[in-house]
Amino acid sequence: MDHSAAPLAVTSSHAQDLAWVVLLFPLVSALSITFGLRRSRTLTNTMALSAVVTGFFLSVALFLGFGFGPGVNADALPWLSIPGLNIHLGLKVDSLSTLMLMVVTGISSLVHLYSTQYMDEDQDYPRYFAALGLFTFAMLGIVLSDNLVQTFIFWELVGVTSYLLVGFWYEKPAAADAAKKAFLTNRIGDFGFILGIVIVWAATGTVQFDELAQKLHADPKVLGNMASLAGVLIFLGAMGKSAQVPLHVWLPDAMEGPTPVSALIHAATMVAAGVYMLCRVFFLLDLPAAWPDALSFLSPFSALGIIAWVGGITSLLAGLIAIQQDDIKRILAYSTLSQLGYMIMAVGCAGPDAAMFHLTTHACFKALLFLGAGSVIVGCHHEQNIWKMGGLWKRMPTTAICFAIGTAALCGVPVVTAGFYSKDAIFAAALADGRHMLFGIGILVAGLTTLYMARLFLVAFLGTPRSEQAEHAHESPWRMTLPLTILAFPSVALGWLPIGGFLKHRFFPEVAVHYPDSLTEILFEPFNHSPLGAVLGLGMIIFGAFAAVMLYWSAAQDPLPDRVPGISRALSRRLYFDQVYEAVFIPLHDAVAALADWFDRWIVQGFIVRGASGGVELFGRGLRLVQTGNLQTYAFFFVAGVALVVLLALN
Amino acid sequence: MNSSLLVIEFLVALLGLGVLLADLWIAPSARRTLAYVATTGLLLVFTIHAGALAPADGTAFGGMFLVDGLANFFKSIFLVAAMVVLMVSTRFADRLNGYGEFVALILFATVGMLLTASANDFILMFVSLELITVTFYILVSFQRNRLSSVEAGVKYLIFGALAAAFMVFGITLIFGSANSTNFFEIAAKQGELAKSPVFLIGLLLTFVGLGFKISAFPFQMWTPDVYQGAPAPVTAFLATGSKAAGFVLILRLAYGVVPELSAKWSHLLLGFAVITALYGSFCGLAQRSVKRLMGYSSISNAGFLLLGIAAANDTGSSAVAFFLAAYVFTTLLVFAGVTVVTADGETDDFSAFGGLGQRSPFLAAGLTIGLVSLAGVPPLAGFFAKFWLFKAAALRVADDRWFLVAILAACVAVVISFYYYFGIIRAMYWPRHTAESTPVEPSIPVRLAMVTCIAAVILMGVFPGGLVSVARQAVAGLGPATAPAAHAAPPVAAH
Repeated sequence: MDHSAAPLAVTSSHAQDLAWVVLLFPLVSALSITFGLRRSRTLTNTMALSAVVTGFFLSVALFLGFGFGPGVNADALPWLSIPGLNIHLGLKVDSLSTLMLMVVTGISSLVHLYSTQYMDEDQDYPRYFAALGLFTFAMLGIVLSDNLVQTFIFWELVGVTSYLLVGFWYEKPAAADAAKKAFLTNRIGDFGFILGIVIVWAATGTVQFDELAQKLHADPKVLGNMASLAGVLIFLGAMGKSAQVPLHVWLPDAMEGPTPVSALIHAATMVAAGVYMLCRVFFLLDLPAAWPDALSFLSPFSALGIIAWVGGITSLLAGLIAIQQDDIKRILAYSTLSQLGYMIMAVGCAGPDAAMFHLTTHACFKALLFLGAGSVIVGCHHEQNIWKMGGLWKRMPTTAICFAIGTAALCGVPVVTAGFYSKDAIFAAALADGRHMLFGIGILVAGLTTLYMARLFLVAFLGTPRSEQAEHAHESPWRMTLPLTILAFPSVALGWLPIGGFLKHRFFPEVAVHYPDSLTEILFEPFNHSPLGAVLGLGMIIFGAFAAVMLYWSAAQDPLPDRVPGISRALSRRLYFDQVYEAVFIPLHDAVAALADWFDRWIVQGFIVRGASGGVELFGRGLRLVQTGNLQTYAFFFVAGVALVVLLALN
Repeated sequence: MNSSLLVIEFLVALLGLGVLLADLWIAPSARRTLAYVATTGLLLVFTIHAGALAPADGTAFGGMFLVDGLANFFKSIFLVAAMVVLMVSTRFADRLNGYGEFVALILFATVGMLLTASANDFILMFVSLELITVTFYILVSFQRNRLSSVEAGVKYLIFGALAAAFMVFGITLIFGSANSTNFFEIAAKQGELAKSPVFLIGLLLTFVGLGFKISAFPFQMWTPDVYQGAPAPVTAFLATGSKAAGFVLILRLAYGVVPELSAKWSHLLLGFAVITALYGSFCGLAQRSVKRLMGYSSISNAGFLLLGIAAANDTGSSAVAFFLAAYVFTTLLVFAGVTVVTADGETDDFSAFGGLGQRSPFLAAGLTIGLVSLAGVPPLAGFFAKFWLFKAAALRVADDRWFLVAILAACVAVVISFYYYFGIIRAMYWPRHTAESTPVEPSIPVRLAMVTCIAAVILMGVFPGGLVSVARQAVAGLGPATAPAAHAAPPVAAH
């Protein structure tokens, strides 16, 4: 380190420790709400809001200070130290984590503000904000972690806190079930994740990202024939959190939670954690295929190849299912799945920069869409079926305009939305990696996206009201529309910033990055950079929009079930994933449970426990008879005892 | 002669006499103050004892009285136990006739305990033990209006007399064969004495007397009855101070005076240890009286401690010291809770503790911590104490298989004891019947005592390192290695 060359680095040598503040503020807020502030609503939301907003501004400062350098580590606390394994609780402050910090704290701040209105009538207002703070803390922990074990700890913490939030209305059976489902499904992925961590640790002796990167840089074969297996196992963790097929089933159900929660954890943060984690350990995944002998049949595939295909399939299936959903939040949920599939696919196509870029823009416009949906739901008196809405354009103008911007961004309308630029980066990555099939899927999904989003917008916002609730819809108060308006700006403009180039430089420092300089060049950069993707994407948007207008322009009900009944039914039943799981895993699980129950009931409880305790109890009662309370008896035993001792000792 | 070594004992005795005198003039309603004064006095003595003014190591009264690491370690335990018992007993002040005498008797018993810790002669040992026992005869039956208290007193008296008779008989036999009662002198010629059956019988009978003090099998019969009948603070002192006094002497005899014999008898010790532990655990199962249950718990713990004596290694002796320190705090914590609950109600049945979780969350929490520590659950003191004791025994497994059997049996005892400790916890938080609902409010001294104990129980469990090194230092002077060095000392003292 050449300190003399960078005086700023010397003066700010401990500025990175501010990251601890960003991390711990939400925790402090959650604890103080739980242990006292909860008596006052004003105190509760002031505390919660100020914690995340402060975090956001500090994140921006951290980004400006450290995002452009090689990255630094904040002071670490030793946590676990046994021979062969040293784990510190440390924070990594670099371009990747500070960017993600801004996304998480930014969205979290707006969701907090929105929630002060949305949850206003809820009795458990303080519990909500405490859980939200705890969740933000856990999520920031993943973002800032500098080693795999710490990541895993916060990973689980995110699982727990999302359980609390999804099941916030636990008195509703659907919400309680959804929380359970999300938690259990994530367990499957997490199991793989921790196995992956163990493999990496066993092979390299460290779990610290920097040390791992160094070791892999020095010897790319350090993981031996476990390289791909480790990568895929770690990816399993991401599959759970980022809801990739076949572990995606929890995300749509998780919509039972309050809508701001959906915006925060199912759009911008928790589900993005998987993508972020993959980008963080990209150097571990980007290794040539190497499988242990038992799995040699997988040798044609590298870890990245598997990741790319899982992502592609997820994006396609989710895009299809979204077309035939009627619940506004479920459409958005499947759309989220589809976009997450894009990001995962981008990682698999060796484009972590594209994945992070799309993660950033998607966080903004998907949060915007979810919050907009929340506004619609409140406006329509808790109606969620789009076929019972209609004509909201006139009744909820601010929400409608913001929603339209979000929709456009999600579809990737060229030039005027952020989604266009980040989506194009993904197409370019797929092409550059030579994965033409996946490129095709990506383009197709762009069309599907436009179709289902245009359907949603046409049915819910245009036309005439289809129900009493929609008739009497009203615009939401400012605390809900303000976050929408704020989010609309980055949804439009984020793509104009050179985030893509910035990230490319971060992941591939050896590649020369071309930053566009003139305004036209900035605006039309994708056409210049990857014309095929941009043009085909545009074509699919037009096609999708055209199809949607043809089918749904002032339609009273969905025409698809009549025209293609089989497909429609399959799609609206979500391709029967849940049914298959129910038919296969639940009986299997029940059988195992029944066996275990039998064993426990008859062998463990009946024979071992009850037998032992019964015997012990009987013996104890018997012995008690000796204790008669009679002094003469006692004295007799005493003297007999003396005789016994002397006899035994002298023998 | 160096009588300044006895400064701690003198001060406590003076304190006791002062309390006795002050009791003559003080109004009956203000007698509680005596306990506060006595506690403060003990605290001062404790600071002297633990501070720079403490007497240096050495012997006095012709080698009868000895100050060393072990003595100092146990004196700290006795002083702390006495302070806590006094504070807790203030809850009983109104129920005990002549509370001033009660305080004075506790102090006199403390003097006895302090002397046992320093006893280096069979005569002083007997006298100091009798000082403890005789004061306890009165203390146990202090609630003279309660039949059960009087009955307990009588039982304790007769058993104490029986044990004392055996012990004094044993001491005469020892004197007859060894021609000395000094520990150092006997230690020096233990090799030839071991061949004399008269000496062996004398020693065994002395151990019988000590076995009575610590309630080891087969001399444990009195324990449940007396524990149940005595007023709760007295039971607390009996279970902690009196038991620790027995153990300091056993430690000194087994490790310092006749280590060769105790090694020879290690199977016998091991057998009695295991039977004692199992007996306490099994009999506790069917109990519904908490004080009686604590009696069985006390027996069971004596068994564990004997395991450490039988181990006959450095770890064993330091583990016994550590275990006693942890046990004293834990047991005092439990008895503080029991005292408050039984001071109001007549009964100490499980039902009296029903719903305590609601009636007094503080008391219930304190009791729970104490019971959980007694059961030996990490991270509390009781866990580490048991762990270390078992480790001492485990170190012997390599050369003696029977230690493995003993450890396994002791583990069974631990598991069984879980059942009854948690039975009380269950009664407090999940009462079977709708129990009493009158709130219980522990007074400030009781709270203070309990908080001290809770802090000690948690600290000893979480950071055992400090106390471990203290315990190691305390027992460092014991053991066969130092016996020859000690042998050189007495002639100097004698001349």
